[in-house]
Amino acid sequence: MREKATTLYIGPQHPGITGNMMIRLKVEGDTIVKAITEVGYLHRSFEKLAERRNWLQAFTLMCRFCVPEPDPVEETYSRAVELLEGRSVPDRAKFLRVLVLELARISSQLLWYGGQGASLGLYTIGQWSVGDRNYILDLFEELTGARVYHMYIWPGGVRRDMPEGFEKRVLKTMDYLEGRLDEYEALMFDNAIFKKRTQGIAIIDKEKAIEWGVVGPPLRGCGIKSDIRIDDPYEVYEHLDFEIPVYEGGDIWARALVRRDEIRQSIRIVRQVIKEMPGGSYYNKVPNPQKWTIQKGDAYARTEAVRGEIGFYVVSDGSNHPRRAHMRGAAYVHGITLLEDILKGANVADVSSIMNSLGTCPPEIER
Amino acid sequence: MKENKVKLAKYLKEHFPAIIEKDYNYNRIDFSINRELVPSVLRLLKEESGYIHLSHISCVDWLEEEEFELVFIIWSPVDKIKILIHTRIDRNNPVMDNIDKIWRQANTYEREIKEMYGIEFTGLEAADEFLLEDWNGMPPMRRDFDTAAYASNKYYNRPGREDAMDVREEIARHSGEEIPDFAKKYSR
Repeated sequence: MREKATTLYIGPQHPGITGNMMIRLKVEGDTIVKAITEVGYLHRSFEKLAERRNWLQAFTLMCRFCVPEPDPVEETYSRAVELLEGRSVPDRAKFLRVLVLELARISSQLLWYGGQGASLGLYTIGQWSVGDRNYILDLFEELTGARVYHMYIWPGGVRRDMPEGFEKRVLKTMDYLEGRLDEYEALMFDNAIFKKRTQGIAIIDKEKAIEWGVVGPPLRGCGIKSDIRIDDPYEVYEHLDFEIPVYEGGDIWARALVRRDEIRQSIRIVRQVIKEMPGGSYYNKVPNPQKWTIQKGDAYARTEAVRGEIGFYVVSDGSNHPRRAHMRGAAYVHGITLLEDILKGANVADVSSIMNSLGTCPPEIER
Repeated sequence: MKENKVKLAKYLKEHFPAIIEKDYNYNRIDFSINRELVPSVLRLLKEESGYIHLSHISCVDWLEEEEFELVFIIWSPVDKIKILIHTRIDRNNPVMDNIDKIWRQANTYEREIKEMYGIEFTGLEAADEFLLEDWNGMPPMRRDFDTAAYASNKYYNRPGREDAMDVREEIARHSGEEIPDFAKKYSR
């Protein structure tokens, strides 16, 4: 006898959901036949607020667009404003920016380890990785004065230089984390539960990935080599030596392997940046923020964040505040159209695992 | 890159003589065109020129000019060029063609722009509400939306809560200092 479809609501408050959003599922037994995402629980209207603030005040809102990964957003905004104004940035600032972006990438990947593990009932991974992430937050606290929202990368450069002996502490943390990666390998990637619950689950087809606008690790997990750091290089990435991990398969497992390898690449980049860090100024001072006007025009900057492409479209009408500062986040595509498509036919128990693997971030959708 | 841009501009002008180009000294080129032709331009670029990735759709409210500007940002992984397609639509009758048949994810952008600016996308199939709930008033991202009036109508100050006062007046009262002239215009 055919089972009757039932409607299930997951979220907006749910331990498996990566933020505050709801998914309305139509299920037959354990199988999802239809999924509709509902957002609207986190709308803070940062973009509207930015229109009433000057260029520098608006920047303080930008890092709040995505909680696990604030740095790429402030870097993208700053770079878009610099592109719009034609302002140059000192080389040292560019290196410091890359240092912060890569540390943020490692920290975000470690947080993702925890989320992905916990979504499958493997809580030890999260306890380890969130603990290890704290060592990076310590570095951030020392460099920027804050642990999560740094407001460090601002138009014109960065807010302050490295404290004395900071390089050594960064390298020491990198050595420690590199040693830990083998333990994560054993705990997570050699784990039968993890393999069984991720291999062959939520497969994204290669052709469909392009068609659906998939970016970041989910795209590289489909065997497509695409990374903005290489394709549309910014800051000093074109001078750095690193690889783009690509895996075939398109399932959660492939996405996890991509993320795992990216941590090693980020450590490699951090070491290079520290080694090649030039001297000199770290900030080209902007005018008095109240009087800082930017000529009429628009600019679009984009960055490879952990979840994928982040973009900022900024428009100036010649005044001292943005006419429009519009962010594009990876979750905007992954969290709605892609998630709705990919959940069809999936098992109810895999919903949070799938969301984690796609890097769904509701605050980025609503802004 | 320069060669590709020239070739691209020539190719588009052959198909759409009315298109206006604007080149930049980095990997970006802009085109402006009437709104009716935008879907055809996008489809041509996607299917014939390899601009397969829709990076962003944005909307800017030019209140003074009574127009909305829609911007479609697309990217080619082969040419490694960003194209920004600009179009202006009448602010008093904001209608745009839906492009979610070209890129499925455009559906989400269109839903948000519809809600936040009140632009109707012809043939857009999506649930009515995106971010806002039971919203009947003016779309909130429009420039003439009065945020202060909305906040004072919607929310109330808790009775007896003195910190609802203007913070500058409060500081002046405590310290006995004058409010600087430039700050007075912001006072309530």
